[in-house]
Amino acid sequence: MIQKVKLFKSSLCVAILFLLLFSSTSAIAKENSLRIAGSTTVLPIVSRAAETFKIKHPNISITVNAGGSGVGFSSVADNRVDIGMMSRKISEKELKKYNKQKFNSHTLGRDGVACVVSSEIYSAGITTLSKEQIGDIYSGKIKNWKTLGGPDKKIVVVDKERHRGTRHAFMHYVFGNPTARARGARLVSGSNNEEQAKIAQSDSAIGLLSQAWVNKDVVGVALIHEGKKIEPSIENIKSGVYPISRDLDIVTQNNISDTAKLFIEFLLGSEVQPIIEKSGYVSIR
Amino acid sequence: MSRFADIDFFHWATFAMALLSMTLGVGIVAYLFWEGGPFIWNHGAQFLMGLDWFPDEEYGAAPMIFGSAAVTFLALVFSTPLALASAIYTSEFLDPRQRLTVKGIMEILAGVPGIVYGLLGVSLLSVWIRDVFNLVDGYTLLSASFLLAIMILPTIMTLSEDAIHSTPAEYRQAASGLGLSKMEILFSVALPHATPGIAGAILLAIGRAMGETIAVMLVIGGLDRVPEPWYDVFSSGQSIASKLGREAAETLGFGEHWSALMALALILFFLVMFLTAFGNWLIKGFRK
Repeated sequence: MIQKVKLFKSSLCVAILFLLLFSSTSAIAKENSLRIAGSTTVLPIVSRAAETFKIKHPNISITVNAGGSGVGFSSVADNRVDIGMMSRKISEKELKKYNKQKFNSHTLGRDGVACVVSSEIYSAGITTLSKEQIGDIYSGKIKNWKTLGGPDKKIVVVDKERHRGTRHAFMHYVFGNPTARARGARLVSGSNNEEQAKIAQSDSAIGLLSQAWVNKDVVGVALIHEGKKIEPSIENIKSGVYPISRDLDIVTQNNISDTAKLFIEFLLGSEVQPIIEKSGYVSIR
Repeated sequence: MSRFADIDFFHWATFAMALLSMTLGVGIVAYLFWEGGPFIWNHGAQFLMGLDWFPDEEYGAAPMIFGSAAVTFLALVFSTPLALASAIYTSEFLDPRQRLTVKGIMEILAGVPGIVYGLLGVSLLSVWIRDVFNLVDGYTLLSASFLLAIMILPTIMTLSEDAIHSTPAEYRQAASGLGLSKMEILFSVALPHATPGIAGAILLAIGRAMGETIAVMLVIGGLDRVPEPWYDVFSSGQSIASKLGREAAETLGFGEHWSALMALALILFFLVMFLTAFGNWLIKGFRK
């Protein structure tokens, strides 16, 4: 009886070991899988497109992760993912770090970065800000909303992680330097989601966000550009009038798998255009 | 004859496992030294005392070191009295079934993953702290300290309770025979006997608090600065683990930024080692 139990236990162990071995070395698994990571701005487009793609190609599994534009690039460069998502161009420093490799990028669409404030601040009258005012807030010179004609509340300045594409576009506009320091910052957040949550939670916050994340709690102010007030609307971004806009790119190394090629062709095709627009971005095809 | 062969196999198998475990441990430490050591060697004081962290320009670790030390210290201050009091009550005044129920709950709480605490911190604790202290927002060093205190409370409580409860019955009976009251037995027999165990619990808690990444990352504010004035716990800040959590993925593998982050990791390792050694030294002193 004991012998039978022992036999059963050892054959179970062997069976489990075989299963693990088989699943981890399955060649089929590797060839038909795609790993994608990077910008949280591009992520909604790519993950919705991946769902549609999966219906046509059920044997291809696609994993889409966030992380930010910087993480998207370094993941592709280090071969941790097949496709990287970036809401900015690859920087010189990044190219220098990987100077022995070549990268390809394709633009999926365009997006604008809104300077957002808490809805309570917007309703209290702060609906427009100039570049200088935003610069003074982010560098710590203006600390209270009352200086700008708003309520008497300390400004909660929400900054983003330095490698994020959304921050690059915003800082390039405000300070002329995509990696400018924001000495007046009170909080540092990561993804668009985290930034949106932190601004919505506060009633006196200012932040930088992709305009697709603007909602009733987190409102985008109009910018004063060349004397005119420009709202962060889709029309203004499409026409190029809104001053803070950027391409939404996907980045790969020079040699990619056939599966990746197939998915990229799909992303650049006509089926994804309505997905881009429904996600709140500007389609360029 | 076959019995001899069995013993040999067992001997070698366990030796191999022990060697593997040791290699992993030593290997991790060696990796930290290899990746982060050169950076500390080259930048020395400028790195350890620098107050600004701007990748590609300057790397100053002081805000992160201060943040880790501050939130761990405060977490201990908040949780230890509460944990010890609960441990004493559970050990001395509860009947066996109640005691096991309480310990069971504590042990479950001790195993809750950090991310769950982090999400609770973002949605409940930070809002509560902002409202109670009338702050501009609830993402501060104090919030991280409270969250860590809640996280380490079960650990300190359950391990201290074990230590207090395991005081040999003979000691208690001898003391009772001498005429000591229950409270006197507790303070002059049980607690001194339990001190090494309690200290061990606190050291374990320190390790967890210093290493906790995601929960702290979500509520500490993420700003690389030492508060002004330094004791302003209502300011946002940064801990070493939180910094690594936010920036490591951006620059994995190689480069100056990576070396700086590995140097931070090495400092965290040293901090925990130092605190553990200091704690052990205190225990030895207590024993005398």
